[in-house]
Amino acid sequence: MDEVKIGVFICNCGDTISKSVDLLDIRARLEKLADVALVSIGHDLCSPQAQQAIRKDIIDNGINRVVIAACSPQLYGDALANLVEKAGLNRHLLSVANIREQCSWVHPDKDKATKKAMVQIRMAVDKVRLQDVVEQAEVEVYKDVLVIGGGIVGMEVAIELSNLNLRTTLIEKEANLGGRLKQFAALYPLQVTPEEMLTSRLKQVTGSENIDVLTSAGLKDLSGEVGNFTAKIRKGNKEISRNFGAIILATGYETLFLDKVYGFELGNNIITQSQLEGMLKSPGEIKKIPQSVGFVFDICDEHSRISTLSTLRNALVIKERFGSEVYVLCRNLQVDGAGLEKLYQDVRNKGVIFFKFERFPKILRENGKINIQVEDLSMAREQVMLSCNLLVVEEKVVPHQDFATLESMLNIGLGPRDFYQEDNVHLYPTSSTKSGIFFAGNCHQDLDLGRALTDASNAASEAYQLISSGKMRVEVERVVVDPDKCALCLTCLRFCPHDAIRIDYEKKAAHILDLACQGCGICAAVCPAKAIKFKDWSDDQILAELEVV
Amino acid sequence: MNKSVLVLGGGIAGVASSLRLAVNGFKVYLVEREPTIGGAALFFCCKATEACNQCSVCLVPEKIAEIKAQPQISLLTNSQVAEISGQVGDFSVRLIQRPRFVDPEKCTACGVCAELCPSQPNKAIYLPSPQALPYAYAIDKNNCLHFNGVECNICSQECPFGAIDFDRSPEKIELSVDAIIIATGFDVFNAKEKGCLGYGRYTNVLTGLDLEMKFSTQGSITLPSSGKAPQNVAFIQCVGSRDVHIGNGYCSQICCKYAMRFAKLLQYQHPETKITIFYMDLQTAGKGFGEFYQQCKETIRFVRGIPVEISEISPDELEVKYEDFIEGKVAKEIFDLVILSVGITPRKDSSNIARILGINLGEWGFFDTQDHLDSTETNVEGIFVAGTCHGPKDIPESIAHGAQAASKVIQTLAARGI
Amino acid sequence: MTTGVEFLPCIVAFCCVHSAYQAADAAGRMRIPYPENIIVVHIPCAGRVDTLHILRAFENGADGVVILACHEGACHHILGNIMAKERVERANALLREIGVDGRRVEMQTCAPNDGSRFARVCHELEEKIKELGPSPLRKHA
Repeated sequence: MDEVKIGVFICNCGDTISKSVDLLDIRARLEKLADVALVSIGHDLCSPQAQQAIRKDIIDNGINRVVIAACSPQLYGDALANLVEKAGLNRHLLSVANIREQCSWVHPDKDKATKKAMVQIRMAVDKVRLQDVVEQAEVEVYKDVLVIGGGIVGMEVAIELSNLNLRTTLIEKEANLGGRLKQFAALYPLQVTPEEMLTSRLKQVTGSENIDVLTSAGLKDLSGEVGNFTAKIRKGNKEISRNFGAIILATGYETLFLDKVYGFELGNNIITQSQLEGMLKSPGEIKKIPQSVGFVFDICDEHSRISTLSTLRNALVIKERFGSEVYVLCRNLQVDGAGLEKLYQDVRNKGVIFFKFERFPKILRENGKINIQVEDLSMAREQVMLSCNLLVVEEKVVPHQDFATLESMLNIGLGPRDFYQEDNVHLYPTSSTKSGIFFAGNCHQDLDLGRALTDASNAASEAYQLISSGKMRVEVERVVVDPDKCALCLTCLRFCPHDAIRIDYEKKAAHILDLACQGCGICAAVCPAKAIKFKDWSDDQILAELEVV
Repeated sequence: MNKSVLVLGGGIAGVASSLRLAVNGFKVYLVEREPTIGGAALFFCCKATEACNQCSVCLVPEKIAEIKAQPQISLLTNSQVAEISGQVGDFSVRLIQRPRFVDPEKCTACGVCAELCPSQPNKAIYLPSPQALPYAYAIDKNNCLHFNGVECNICSQECPFGAIDFDRSPEKIELSVDAIIIATGFDVFNAKEKGCLGYGRYTNVLTGLDLEMKFSTQGSITLPSSGKAPQNVAFIQCVGSRDVHIGNGYCSQICCKYAMRFAKLLQYQHPETKITIFYMDLQTAGKGFGEFYQQCKETIRFVRGIPVEISEISPDELEVKYEDFIEGKVAKEIFDLVILSVGITPRKDSSNIARILGINLGEWGFFDTQDHLDSTETNVEGIFVAGTCHGPKDIPESIAHGAQAASKVIQTLAARGI
Repeated sequence: MTTGVEFLPCIVAFCCVHSAYQAADAAGRMRIPYPENIIVVHIPCAGRVDTLHILRAFENGADGVVILACHEGACHHILGNIMAKERVERANALLREIGVDGRRVEMQTCAPNDGSRFARVCHELEEKIKELGPSPLRKHA
């Protein structure tokens, strides 16, 4: 290895830093270090002229490690790395000491500030001395996207991707596309029907050359990393293997009736929202028009938009079609969406009566009718007795049946109530913990249709921006495993939050996937044998920095 | 020739749109009225207690930092649109850029100018925010002695980078773009319009926005009247929302959530403080929020019923009158601090922008889209909306909406072969 | 014990790039002063810090060590801050085993835009370590 020659470039930020930090003293001390070949103080390293000068200094003095002591790397970090590269060095051979925001601006005592700045610069020097080169490369990636789930959201994702000229494979476990929207009796506003929405989407999907639909199909296996996933799809008794650059889950939700919570079973005149929608879609099935219909929710799940939405929509349909008396009993109406307050007002204007309860209403079947006893909160908790021919109860919204299988296949983590996506703001709105895998629609959030379509569009364009050029930039072997030390204990693999580690059976060692790695260093910290080297933050570097104590 | 897009408004939605377009090779002109991008949420506070409460405010500086890495995004701050003509693929835009008097290319934010500025009580030259972009100072003409008849050139003389120039006038900027995204954001409901609640008259009645500012700058809240810790706080929901009488027949979507997060934050800092939230319908849907609400119920009292009147018995004693549905009578309670959970309203200048662009306003004054399911296309082809100027949204939704608008721009221009 | 020289604790702060490092920058931009004797070690994630690093800091003579990470539930790498907390607890136990006050090592969280919190944490930590006095490992450093 070449003799290490470190160049330290200190910025005075005009002449402001030297007012609180004795830069000359620091320079004198630094020049005493054996491998520091050059220490220079500049007026403003951010100016193009100064940067030219630094470049010249690096080349003229044979400098092969650079330390810049200036303002926060958050501001110019990238520009400085570019500068180093232009001077012929690998961009990682640079360390920045923040002597402005983290020193001269916060420490009024000049002696103490100088001492601290010296510590900061020493640490940067000690760190960069041990820095390894990390090459950049461009890797070819697949420009195809796998969309799992063919409901309205999955279709919308596929359509957007197709409009953006990416090829999509859309897989759906049922025999037909459309998902839950097929069951909806109506949308709001009522002029647009679910059938029309689905038909128009279906037309775009089947009419697009870019979309390949596989129904009665499911994902059987997934391997690889972002840009280069290999998926094995099962369709009937065939297995289809395809490569993708990104994956979007749009697996939606399912509903469950919790008879234990309600304390009764469904029967002739107590049905779920889903059953009601089914009834409303096949009017021939309705033998007798109910004179009065009751809706109740917020008993098994207080926080669902879907309960409010389906109730309001279906209440409106019943009023429009049958003119029945309609009562709605709930705790809170979730109207926090575009057009939802309006929907509520329309429903009220049509004569639907709302009761808000604190305590659960008592529901009894009596003589072919449903009797409900509820506290009327607007009338000093007076007990009100309602009677209706038909009671529609809420269902609990749950993740789709195979969520656990799919999650363990993809290794993407679950969030509240087992829906996808860990509840971490940095993943919002559609990312998963794993690069290249995104979520759209109700499989990860409780969404009304408007929001779900926005979500679909965002997920599609996230995938698009990742792979549309067919290439991805990567840091090559930024984290490496020493096969001599690796005991294949699998600890790193289990702890990697981004599923970026695999086993290389030939080398008999763990192996970090460059594209998938997000640079946290957790693997390097957990490895019991210290077999993993994270080149920008290696153990040697951190321990060397600690020598300054 | 690269396709170019005008993004009008540098709040989080505009930032999200710009990033999505830039990464996909578009040239973006990000036009912002204020001297920094970041919009309203740049000035909001973190609401973590012993753990993160997912308020998403920290996403704003994160996204702003990403803008720096995209050279195809031109930031035009201190700018407003004066005229737009043309059609999709060929819009002509005229902007007026008000002078900042500090050149962001030269300013390094070293702060020497502000140290020396003699203006009282506030410095005339200031950094708009610690996370500002452009990360440069700006001069507020109204406060500046130089522009108010006094012979003062201290900042421009002492600036080590020669970045200050008093002799700047408003500039006209002409642009030619293929598409436009409007992301002009919102105004907060003016609580003074609900005079019976005493905002602006009583010292200890504050709005949710006041709380954001106070927590951002001071890190805590004390009673404005006495500086002591609040003992008994009331939050009043739906101030300016779900209220057809004042012309806002919609839910502002963010207030129940921010009220509960603030309530939790207050109690984290002052565990003995009693908190009551007066509500109509609690909006608790959203990832994990139901669980958060159940936790809130343990230490926060929720009362159904929006108070109709507040009277001030003394600056520390606010009498809140509300209908107690449980007891069936009118009740009065004393609190020492009342927070009005104000909602999101359209910007006052939205009708002006609508006129310049030729787009429709919806029922409540927000920019209208083709329908609420197709929520980014306006009635003018090539003009899209993103974020709260279209209707109330929280931060992650504004980001998603901004990305959706960008995606629609890309698709529309591709379909037209532009 | 009387000392003519005031005890200036040497504190090592492992600051994660996503939160504490930016909070320190924010404190700088708002010109909020905090103690100078805090050595900031820049790390990509709190999860990068190994118990070994904490102990080496003490071996080298630090009087106190803190890991400053993202708030619980907001780690960019999901479990980095949780792992850091476990390591702090392990270091605490190991220190106590060798007769050093375990309170010298602690875990703190802050948001990236919360400069005032960063400064506050630094001040409180300095006070705490001042009270605990110089680390008994100092003379061996």
